[in-house]
Amino acid sequence: MFCIFEKRLEKANKCSYNKNNKSRTNIRMVIEMGQSVPAVTLEKSIEEKLKILSDAAKYDVACTSSGSDRRGQKGMLGNSVAAGVCHAFAADGRCISLLKILMSNHCVYDCKYCINRKSNDIARATFTPQEICELTVEFYRRNYIEGLFLSSGVLNNPNETMEKMCQTLRLLRTVYHFNGYIHVKAIPGASAELLYSAGLLADRISLNMELPTQASLGKLCPNKHMNQIIRPMNCISETIAVNRIAHGKTARLDRAGINRHLENSIFGETSRRIEANAAQSLQTMRFQYPAERMDALLHRDFAPAGQSTQMIIGATEETDFELIRTSQQLYQSFDLKRVFYSGYIPINDDTALPEIGTPVPLLREHRLYQADWLMRFYGFHANELLSEEQPFFDRHIDPKCEWALRHLGDFPVEINRASYDQLLRVPGIGPTGVKKIMSARRYGSVNFDMLKKMHIALKRAQYFITCNGKMLYPIPISQNFIRNQLTDLDRVEIAKIEGNTVTYQQMNLFRDFHMEGQA
Amino acid sequence: MIYYCCEKDWESVLTCIYEAWTQKRGQANIQLIFEPVVQYTLFDEYIHVKADTALAEKVVDAVNRKLSPQFYYEIAHVGMYEAPDVADVLFRVLLLGFAYGPYVLEMVQYKDIMRFREMRCSIGNEISHFREFTRFHEVNHRYVAIIEPRSRIIPALAEVFLDRMPSESWMIADLTNRMAVVHPKDGFYQFVDLTAEEMERLMEIEKNNDRMEVLWKIFFETTAIQERKNERCQKNLYPIWTRKHAVEFMEMRTEKQTCCENENVL
Ligand code: SF4
Repeated sequence: MFCIFEKRLEKANKCSYNKNNKSRTNIRMVIEMGQSVPAVTLEKSIEEKLKILSDAAKYDVACTSSGSDRRGQKGMLGNSVAAGVCHAFAADGRCISLLKILMSNHCVYDCKYCINRKSNDIARATFTPQEICELTVEFYRRNYIEGLFLSSGVLNNPNETMEKMCQTLRLLRTVYHFNGYIHVKAIPGASAELLYSAGLLADRISLNMELPTQASLGKLCPNKHMNQIIRPMNCISETIAVNRIAHGKTARLDRAGINRHLENSIFGETSRRIEANAAQSLQTMRFQYPAERMDALLHRDFAPAGQSTQMIIGATEETDFELIRTSQQLYQSFDLKRVFYSGYIPINDDTALPEIGTPVPLLREHRLYQADWLMRFYGFHANELLSEEQPFFDRHIDPKCEWALRHLGDFPVEINRASYDQLLRVPGIGPTGVKKIMSARRYGSVNFDMLKKMHIALKRAQYFITCNGKMLYPIPISQNFIRNQLTDLDRVEIAKIEGNTVTYQQMNLFRDFHMEGQA
Repeated sequence: MIYYCCEKDWESVLTCIYEAWTQKRGQANIQLIFEPVVQYTLFDEYIHVKADTALAEKVVDAVNRKLSPQFYYEIAHVGMYEAPDVADVLFRVLLLGFAYGPYVLEMVQYKDIMRFREMRCSIGNEISHFREFTRFHEVNHRYVAIIEPRSRIIPALAEVFLDRMPSESWMIADLTNRMAVVHPKDGFYQFVDLTAEEMERLMEIEKNNDRMEVLWKIFFETTAIQERKNERCQKNLYPIWTRKHAVEFMEMRTEKQTCCENENVL
């Protein structure tokens, strides 16, 4: 048959289907050897453990496998794709990309919002490193997952836990030859050396901030202090920068290409701090190279997919403005790759928390993600989206539309002449749309028909753009009119997010047209 | 009107483009269509083009040399797409390409380019669906997957999995187009056509689930947060038609308990 990509047919070997698979035999030997080491909990079957430990890990939202680009290698299992790959979508609509599990749900801490806290009476289990490795590679070979997401409760103390996690990752990388994606959680309070080891073995390392202020942290996590989170975060961010410089890259992580065209993006002028710190660290050699570095098998970059964090929404009193301002600071000061938001799910009965049965703030979470996107890809700053006077996002309309409605004076923009900045701020046009428009503009003028074919969401954009001086329909540029139109569009979206069916209101002549008195 | 008719495989499409190009009957008067032709008309001429590797390679070389390898990559992708107008659109895009150079793909002002980009986008989506949702079953330490895509995406999937699992023996069988790609451990893949009997034997594999499949189903179910349940969103992102061979939606049937014991299936 004709080979579609390259004429490599001649090179193709004859199928060697009956050969023995040596590497697997090796792995089995190692497992058998490994199993002679006494495991922490032998009594539970792997099915039970998986059930307990994936159930305990599911509240962590980070499940992306993006940010790391690595080709496959002979003798190894796996590769990594910069854009990430989702392998399934669970019943809650969230993507499953990684095998998201805890190493153990035993925990000596007592964070109020957490299902695994010490004071909860729940089934507990701990995986052995071999079990985690076996699950990862077997799931990976069957194309269920893109890699491993390993977190854990605090077993005895942070260092012991982190050490055990590193041991697992080391086994996975060196003995199982796993070359896929690994996301590892850093345990607050673990030593810098262990964090360094973890970063070398994983693609992404993350530390959950959970709550943006010391006050709320003190209220809900009696055993944690903000410093225990900020210090390692800073340490990791500096190590990433130093490591990048050592590999001939820029100190800062690569951001979406569109940011190059934006003058005022949050990643613009603020890069100095990271670069200055990296240069300083290089001089003072503050970073110790632990055992991993000596290992010939591991010439790896330190956390090539960067660092991320997560914040809980709705468990404490913070406003949206405080949250996105914190995110912006995290992006700017620590060069975080992502900040995740997790709507609080009431699982524990506690007076300090919303009571059980309180609906999950899904829409609020969605709005925060939208705002986060606007900061990372559209050049918006937190204080453009919200302010002290208006600290929450509108329920009915998305943050970009809200911004556009407050700045109607800047619209409509002419599609055939507007700059990157201007186009990106039009509701309904995203970075991909802008790139398409820009490249089409080079060869002739662009009209509405072409925009439609480029999948530009004209339903939103039509109120804010002109093509060759004309709007799509003659529409009054009035805030109220456009707001009503956009609210109507968002109603369907909101219903989708909250998982309801849309209840289209029956139009009521008397109520909607204020005709009560006349009937 | 003169109709050049060919089979749907890539070699035939390229040969057909070559014939239509070299016979120079005027591009407004010709159209490239796929066989079988549903209804012949009396006053039109129908030319059947048979696949010819040498001619097809000429087109491949011309595109690679005169346009760019990237351009070839793009047309090869569209060539996999399942639609009646694929050959015709490719022919016209190539004509435009040879006239204006490789950047022609950005000239969305031409309706053929627009259609080409639509098809490229659809095939790209289909490939990423199957890159995500293809599920392998272990048989004797070899990994076998069965898929039923709409288009002929096997060549693109082969490239994906070659990079992902270079040191495993695996095979992906496409039941829609009755073809498969077979990859030996540490080797290079090969395409084979499937016979009806082979297809039946392959279907047997899905009838028994090993321990890892059971574990995966456990994981898939427990990792969903019940308080956030949203089936509509799930359906949107994980379309029902792609779930046919997905382990997580199957009823588990385990005759034998461990993954190492079912070596006698094939
Ligand atoms: S340290 Fe982590 S696992 Fe332990 S109670 Fe706090 S949040 Fe939960």
